[in-house]
Amino acid sequence: MADIIFYIIALSTCLFAFLTVASRDVFHSAVWLSLTLLSVAAIYFYLDAQFLGVIQVLVYIGGIITLFIFAIKLTAKIGDKTIQQANEQALLSGLAAFVFFIILFKMIALHPWAELQPQAPVFSLEDIGKSMLTTYVLPFEFLSLLLLAAMVGAIVIGKVRK
Amino acid sequence: MMNLLIGGISVVGFISLSAMFLIWLERKISAHIQNRMGPMICGWHGSLQSIADSLKLLLKENIVPSGADKLVWSLAPFFVTVPVVMAFLTVPFSKTLIVRDLNVGILYVASITSICVLGIFMAGWGSNNKYSLLGGMRSAAQIISYEVPLLLSIVLVVMEAGTLSMQGIVQAQEQGWYVLKPNLAFAFLIYLISSTAEVNRVPFDIPEAESELGAGYHTEYTGMKFAMFFVAEYTNLVVVSAIATTLFLGGWQGPLLPGLFWFLIKVYGLVCLSMWVRWTLPRVRMDQMMTFAWKVLTPLSILNLLVSGWWMVR
Repeated sequence: MADIIFYIIALSTCLFAFLTVASRDVFHSAVWLSLTLLSVAAIYFYLDAQFLGVIQVLVYIGGIITLFIFAIKLTAKIGDKTIQQANEQALLSGLAAFVFFIILFKMIALHPWAELQPQAPVFSLEDIGKSMLTTYVLPFEFLSLLLLAAMVGAIVIGKVRK
Repeated sequence: MMNLLIGGISVVGFISLSAMFLIWLERKISAHIQNRMGPMICGWHGSLQSIADSLKLLLKENIVPSGADKLVWSLAPFFVTVPVVMAFLTVPFSKTLIVRDLNVGILYVASITSICVLGIFMAGWGSNNKYSLLGGMRSAAQIISYEVPLLLSIVLVVMEAGTLSMQGIVQAQEQGWYVLKPNLAFAFLIYLISSTAEVNRVPFDIPEAESELGAGYHTEYTGMKFAMFFVAEYTNLVVVSAIATTLFLGGWQGPLLPGLFWFLIKVYGLVCLSMWVRWTLPRVRMDQMMTFAWKVLTPLSILNLLVSGWWMVR
């Protein structure tokens, strides 16, 4: 039963991911991408990583996809169906992706996987919070500084010059 | 597994009934505020009006505008309705009546309801109509802006309770409701204002302002698709009231009556408050609303957070 649910989620993730890159309309791509990210969140929930799943939805759907949609809305003619989707290197990059897939597939197939099912580590939200503000405080602060810099940069670019 | 299934089905039943009841209640309250009678023909004081309306909506033709982006247009109602239903997963109706008490409960509700923005914008974009697009655009901007003070006021409750679980937050209020503490009462006020904006109700209903946009993002929808938007709107109102009840008003706690009754009394009390506000206040302008979110509510809630944090570690 649980396996079937996993396969449904995995299949829908792949399907939506394919539709994201295959659709002609950039707004459709954004919609399919949001469904892909939701399916990934479903995998996290399925694996009992609820915090990760919740953050996935909050950041990617609530933040990034909304940003994408605003960008699409504010860019002139981006929704035009006549815009060319692929450039002349499509075949080459397709070949590279296929070779990469073969390598990954080989590595996964050749790896001697342990038969027993490892238990997911039990953690509490307090642990995550504490480690973020003690062990990993430098990367955490660095990221917030980076985001601040990006925000200031966006405001400077977007400001109307007088 | 079985428990989850039963819980899910009961939640869907509760949502449909509650939305029908609330639509009738809203019409009656608005009528009495405006010195009218409201629906009177169907049943006692028009109490069967919503059932008649749903039958009418079921029988209506599903009109697809020829210029619409069909895929986006038909997916949009689901993007609005499904997250609202899913938000009920962690709402504690009573001590035992909760579908599942996640340890990230309140964060889960906040994240899942953020999908609604996408649905509303998709409806506006897919309709391929200037007014709908304007409505969707305004709505997305409004919801994103008011999410900041909303989440900041929720953070204060989480700091006070020391847990994200909805049942944990209710149990932490055994000594006294959070609304009785001064800093949390302030957060409650901010939450109420921002949640009114989140559910697009007057005085913040400019996404669907009838007089300027002709109902905004759902102008082009008919029949059951329109009904889905309508139900989602009223269910969203119940969701934000249920969260306010859980976070600030002690959830299902109360003397004498069983928990479920207390919970429903508090939730519908807040819903009635929202209806009272809706039919009393005029609509604000778009720029006034954005200014209020970013220059008044957000700084105030950050200040509240800082002062309360200082008070807690003092």
